[in-house]
Amino acid sequence: MSHLVVDGLRLLYEQGAGGEDFLALDDVNFAIGDGEFVTIVGPSGCGKSTLLMLIAALLRPSAGSIRLNGRAVATPGWDRALVFQDFALLPWRTVLKNVELGLELKGVAPSARQEIARRHLQMVGLRAFERHFPHQLSGGMRQRVGIARALSVEPEILLMDEPFGALDAQIRQVMGSELLRIWERDRKTILFVTHDIDEAIYLADRVIVMSASPGRVVREIRIALERPRRLEIRNRPDFTAYRQEIWDLLEEQVRSSGSWEEADDAASRAG
Amino acid sequence: MTLLRAQVSAARPRRRASFARIERPLIGVLAVAAFLAAWQIVGSREIIRSDLISYPSEIVATFIEMSRSGELGANVTVTLIEFVEGFIPACLFGVAAGLALALSRRLRYLVAPLFAALYSAPMIAFVPVIVVWFGVGRESKITMVFLAAVIPIIINTAAGVNEVSEAWIRAVRAFGAGRRQIIAKAILPGAFPAVMAGIRLGIGRSIVSLVAAEMYVSIFGIGRLIQVYSNSGKAAPIFVLVGIISTFGLVCVNALRTLEARLAPWRGGR
Amino acid sequence: MSDAAATEGAGKSARRRTTDRRERLLLGALGIILLFGAWQLAADWGLLNPTIGSSPTLIARAFVAQWQSGDLLADLRVSMGEFAAGFLLALVVGVALGIAMGMSRILEYAVDPFIWFLYSSPLIALYPVIVVWLGFGTTTVIAVSFLLTVVSVVVNTLAGVRSVEPMLVRAVRAFGGGRRAIITKVILPASVPLIAAGARIGLGRALLGVVLGEMFSSNAGLGFRISYYAGRLRTADVFVALLLLIAIGLATDKVFKHIEARLQRWRPR
Repeated sequence: MSHLVVDGLRLLYEQGAGGEDFLALDDVNFAIGDGEFVTIVGPSGCGKSTLLMLIAALLRPSAGSIRLNGRAVATPGWDRALVFQDFALLPWRTVLKNVELGLELKGVAPSARQEIARRHLQMVGLRAFERHFPHQLSGGMRQRVGIARALSVEPEILLMDEPFGALDAQIRQVMGSELLRIWERDRKTILFVTHDIDEAIYLADRVIVMSASPGRVVREIRIALERPRRLEIRNRPDFTAYRQEIWDLLEEQVRSSGSWEEADDAASRAG
Repeated sequence: MTLLRAQVSAARPRRRASFARIERPLIGVLAVAAFLAAWQIVGSREIIRSDLISYPSEIVATFIEMSRSGELGANVTVTLIEFVEGFIPACLFGVAAGLALALSRRLRYLVAPLFAALYSAPMIAFVPVIVVWFGVGRESKITMVFLAAVIPIIINTAAGVNEVSEAWIRAVRAFGAGRRQIIAKAILPGAFPAVMAGIRLGIGRSIVSLVAAEMYVSIFGIGRLIQVYSNSGKAAPIFVLVGIISTFGLVCVNALRTLEARLAPWRGGR
Repeated sequence: MSDAAATEGAGKSARRRTTDRRERLLLGALGIILLFGAWQLAADWGLLNPTIGSSPTLIARAFVAQWQSGDLLADLRVSMGEFAAGFLLALVVGVALGIAMGMSRILEYAVDPFIWFLYSSPLIALYPVIVVWLGFGTTTVIAVSFLLTVVSVVVNTLAGVRSVEPMLVRAVRAFGGGRRAIITKVILPASVPLIAAGARIGLGRALLGVVLGEMFSSNAGLGFRISYYAGRLRTADVFVALLLLIAIGLATDKVFKHIEARLQRWRPR
């Protein structure tokens, strides 16, 4: 049972004498219900990855609160498991041992670890590779290990930071449907960050669109497409309608940030 | 900037950028100054016996005294000359031999065991044998320098030549270069960094061997001074000699680095 | 066109590699035989004064004599003991210091000038100081060996720590790992390759330290024997000790290369 509430979140990087302060996030508000698959989409640099880091407590906010099941989020931990864009597998550990890492840090007894890890490797279809090393696997396979690692600690919420960003386009789509297949099993709560609009729509129950820097929530869009979602769904008119809506929003964001740069340029030339 | 620190600081507001740049040399200088100050106090106040550890001002005074009496000058000169007379031939011979070895695979395999043995052997162990063969005079010292330096130079030159990128050789050949030109225009410049690495290794090893040989048996030289003062019961002159040897090593390494930068600016900063 | 460049290119077939390896062994053995053969012949034909130049047969005889009298074993035990002590001590202290420096900026900046000094100067310079402090005997030998090795280990460990990808530290943190977990699960394993390299370089220096210490401030061990026998012009005995030291140097280097290779199985080629 998980219930994430982000309220008035703000992150300001202070630079001190001479440097400029940088406002990464400004007044972000949203909530996620139990078992929801929510994606976050936004222009580059809007702070969506930063938002994830804040929820994971790898960063501390300047203002606002993050509550999971009513409790404030304070330190990183297994209850909010992260899946990283660059996989972050320990290269000196076998695939199996990499999945076990989360369990080790959670404090699970050694005797139980291996069995749990194996089970999750089976879930992502990599049981046969348990004794391989990361460098022997393809990108997609490595990310599946990362997903297995995150799932094995049975988190309250799964935080995914552009997990398929490092993979090529076709693999990305396949991984997306793979992820949904795994998710269908026990419907974990997932917060998924991406810059790929199609991916955001395809995967989600709800899409949160963020503004350009400083980031804030521009709109939340309920995706009323049926599940399970087939890959062909991307060509349907209702899908296209969502795509158009988000695209328009983003275009507006990107444009406005671009002109902000121009204005800044003109100002510095003048002053 | 290290990882753990980076992770931790990411959770806090950023540090003032201007301070960070001078932090490193500042703390370094402070640490060294603190060390010297502590040394001075502990030594001059005899908290620990000063003839065991000495102290900075005494060391400087001893240095001045030793220079003025000419003792330092005479001995350092002897050692220096022995070094040069052994090291320069080692460079010349070493590069040539390394080149020859690189060009013939069979020859390389033939001498490989000998070189492996000489490279991993503690050079100092050869000193008594060399002295037996070459006598107690300058010849044995020069031979030690040569022996100690030539091995790493040959090995590194051979390796460097081998690793010269095929692409460069092909490029030079494409313009019709003959064998000698290929060597001059592609192989030697390409192998240059490795050669320099070998020479740098050679400096360290040969200084150690030289000083050891002089300590073993000698009438003149820094090593001899070390032996003499080891028995004198005073630490100050020893530290002076330590400083001189270290300085020599540092000067050589830095001179080499400057030379390397001048001759091969295309390598970029190390 | 150098045949070296031609044959050393990537993409050698497997068959090429085994014939290559065979060639390497054969020629290597040939080289050794030629060397000792020529030496022996030179001695037999009077080109060499056997008292000064010695010969393989004289050395072999001396070896047997030393072995049977038990002297050799005693010296070996002393030297190996000092070698192991100096090296292992340097490894432990060096790795600990390297990691500490890697994780604390202040410590790193403060210790750095000293490390740099010790690294760039020929460490034989410190030997006399050690003798003044510790006198003669095994302690000095171990201390010299330790000092010569520890610098190499520290420098390489520090480089290893610096090479750790911050992303991996973040992953462990994200799962709730604290400082200890970060050190044991990420920093140490990730630094192992460079630590191993530093240790291997340190091996040679440790052995050097032992020989140096024994030759000048001890009365036992292989290094001492070299100078002892040389002083009595017993060159054959000198060579026994010398060749033994070379063998130890080669053997430990080989063993360590093996260890290094095994520790790096996880690395991409």
